[in-house]
Amino acid sequence: MLTYILKRFVQLVPVLFGITLACFFLLRALPGDPATLLLGARGGPEEIAAMKQRLGLDLPLWRQYLLFLGDILSGSLGRSVVYGQSVTKLVLERLPATLWLVAYSTVIAVVLTIPLALWSAVKRDRAPDLLIKLVFTVLLAIPSFWLGLVLVVVLAIWVPLFPTSGYGNGFVERLHHLTLPAFVIALATASLTIRSLRSGILNVLGSDYVTTARAKGNATARTMHVHVLPNALISSISVLGAHTSWVIGGTVVIETVFALPGLGSLFVESIFARDYPMIQGLTVVFAVLVVLINLATDIAYALADPRIRLD
Amino acid sequence: MTTFRSMVSAAALALAVIGPALAVAPTSAFAQGVLKLAQTQDLVSLDPIATSDNPSIHAQLLIYDTLLRPSTDATKLEPGLAESWTVSEDGLTYTFKLRQAKFSDGAPVTAADVAFSLKRAGSDASNWKRFFAGIDAIETPDERTVVLKLKSVFTPLLNNLALFSSAILPQKAFEAAPDKFFEKPVGSGPFTVAAWNKGQGLSLKKNAHYWQAGKPSLDGAEILVLPEGNSRVLKLQAGEIDAALEIPLNQMQSLARSGAIKTEVANVLRTDFVLLNTKKKPFDDVRVRQALNYAIDKDGLVKALLYGAGKVANSPMPLMAYADPELKPYGHDVAKAKALLKEAGYADGFKTSLLVHSGRPLHRQLGQALQSALAQIGVTAEIRLVEGGTHWSTTKAGDYEMAVSYASSDTIDPDQMAGFLIVNPERANAYHTEWKSERVNELYAKERATRDGPERGAMFKEMIKLAHEGAPSIFLFYPGTSYAHRSNVSGFEVLPTGNFRLEDVKLK
Repeated sequence: MLTYILKRFVQLVPVLFGITLACFFLLRALPGDPATLLLGARGGPEEIAAMKQRLGLDLPLWRQYLLFLGDILSGSLGRSVVYGQSVTKLVLERLPATLWLVAYSTVIAVVLTIPLALWSAVKRDRAPDLLIKLVFTVLLAIPSFWLGLVLVVVLAIWVPLFPTSGYGNGFVERLHHLTLPAFVIALATASLTIRSLRSGILNVLGSDYVTTARAKGNATARTMHVHVLPNALISSISVLGAHTSWVIGGTVVIETVFALPGLGSLFVESIFARDYPMIQGLTVVFAVLVVLINLATDIAYALADPRIRLD
Repeated sequence: MTTFRSMVSAAALALAVIGPALAVAPTSAFAQGVLKLAQTQDLVSLDPIATSDNPSIHAQLLIYDTLLRPSTDATKLEPGLAESWTVSEDGLTYTFKLRQAKFSDGAPVTAADVAFSLKRAGSDASNWKRFFAGIDAIETPDERTVVLKLKSVFTPLLNNLALFSSAILPQKAFEAAPDKFFEKPVGSGPFTVAAWNKGQGLSLKKNAHYWQAGKPSLDGAEILVLPEGNSRVLKLQAGEIDAALEIPLNQMQSLARSGAIKTEVANVLRTDFVLLNTKKKPFDDVRVRQALNYAIDKDGLVKALLYGAGKVANSPMPLMAYADPELKPYGHDVAKAKALLKEAGYADGFKTSLLVHSGRPLHRQLGQALQSALAQIGVTAEIRLVEGGTHWSTTKAGDYEMAVSYASSDTIDPDQMAGFLIVNPERANAYHTEWKSERVNELYAKERATRDGPERGAMFKEMIKLAHEGAPSIFLFYPGTSYAHRSNVSGFEVLPTGNFRLEDVKLK
């Protein structure tokens, strides 16, 4: 297992190299540059030229790229143009909110998925199944900012169980503040995982070894736990993994509605401002996080299905 | 099967329990006398020479002082750290007498601090160097006197000294740790930084050494970031915040109805317009530009898009000092617009494009409205919806035909806006319309070298009239800025310069 994990990290190197290259040059292809945008209406040609020189944007592109690579190798992600501070520091300030959202929403999604998918599969084509299908199809179609606002109106204003927005301090308060946003994300995830787990279960239920297990006189619950669920989980784990990777950088709307200081909104703001070092740094961080989630997904496969070996 | 049912119901029960159990956790408790104010964006930096975004500027104005500052009605300059000042007859020597004031760390504000801060603001490291270019030498004959020497008369200087970038910093504290200083800066303003949680907001606490006796009344302020308009309204209604900036205009009425919340509109120094690229046909013809101005029902736009919170514009210049209230805006006159187009040789209209910033909801709506209004005079405008950075660089590069845009002023003197909006060549070449009037350029040079008064005022009035006639843009409106506060807040006001003086706020 340890060799496997190490191997995955070694594989990360070329991936990261490709990502830095693509990100660096794609950014430069966008119209606008940080100096022009930061100075805005107040900047004349001399101010812009002076700032470009201060930021090193007047150097040839290949030299700028080498400097950026040099920064990464020395463990630094450079300085944000907009904030004038170290990118690493800014990312670390925003990372906790994102990690909280990722973890909390994944837990809620799993807690929702397993019982509901089981129920749906067992009651196939009967009322509970149809109801679950209907509700989660509708939830998948609802824009998350709208769902977020509705939840705020109902669960924070009418019945004031949760705060309307914000982040809170300390574990308990944070859990309380993040319940609504995590729930909104989890509902989107769950609408995918419930469907995939349901069809997974139905597939497995039809296989010979389940019939055998039942014929041996195993209790239904035991058959489900031991034989059906682990085998049915594989496809849902990959759906969950893919969706969780999306949550890393894709929660801008949720962060905006609930005023959360996450990486998604920082990323979007940085793109609007063409804050090159910030965008490059965040892309590297996202890449590492996505690789870690994929790794966790693979490990989860192995745990769910002993036939899968990591080597 | 029963086991499954129990599994499912156990899970459902668990979920039902999680919510209320978490709800028991206390919501964060704030001390009495702390104002909670929500704005749309977080600030970027507290370094006054490195920023240009409003949240940063507004926060800086609460933490630092300037020598002078605009009065709350934006009509004149009033004493700040300087309790008095004189300008020599030849306009080349400015002498400031500092008041007895202290920084938030208890150190006195000295002439050396002023000299240091203004030198820094005029240095190469400063984004706003140009505002201080007129200063030739700074002298400090004693602890509380600062003398600025100029090479040539530069009237806008006093106004530039009232800008955020002219904030007075403590030299010693800054030089002790220049890299760390702006993380928890020291200033002589009414508030000082308690904490800045990036992306969440800025916590301010009262500066115990503030020079205005009895102020601030608040113990502190929490300036929170709530980007979403509906979230700000909901939080205000729930009583989680005391005041909020930029209330969605369509919610102003319903919000005021409850009685617990007061809604207000501030007349900020801003104009919205459609830039016309006069380098490109047919916008090189003044008749076409005037025709476009006649084609738009600006009153209708103010009513429909601003819900009445604004006035129709008569020129690109904001409604500020030396504006001419007598100057009538272009009326809505489709027949006249068509006649002018015909005269210019465009009887059948023409095809063009309209650049719109996708991140500005008001301008997106404007784009649609303008498109249909222009269609009535035969002008087919294709909307080019682009993101902010692209909008700015496209306009700057002159690679557009028409562009919805706006300008807002940091100072109460019209010099800065005139230089930006109607003078060519200057830093933006008449805001990238490339419109050029030799007379305007001449008046601009003259105005800067004339002592402030009616004579200088007449020069601005003439410049504004020339811009009105030359129509480098379709002048739309002067939009107000909406804000709201709960009825227990008194003294909260968004000023024409867009900032707010929290030292005047009281909580009941």
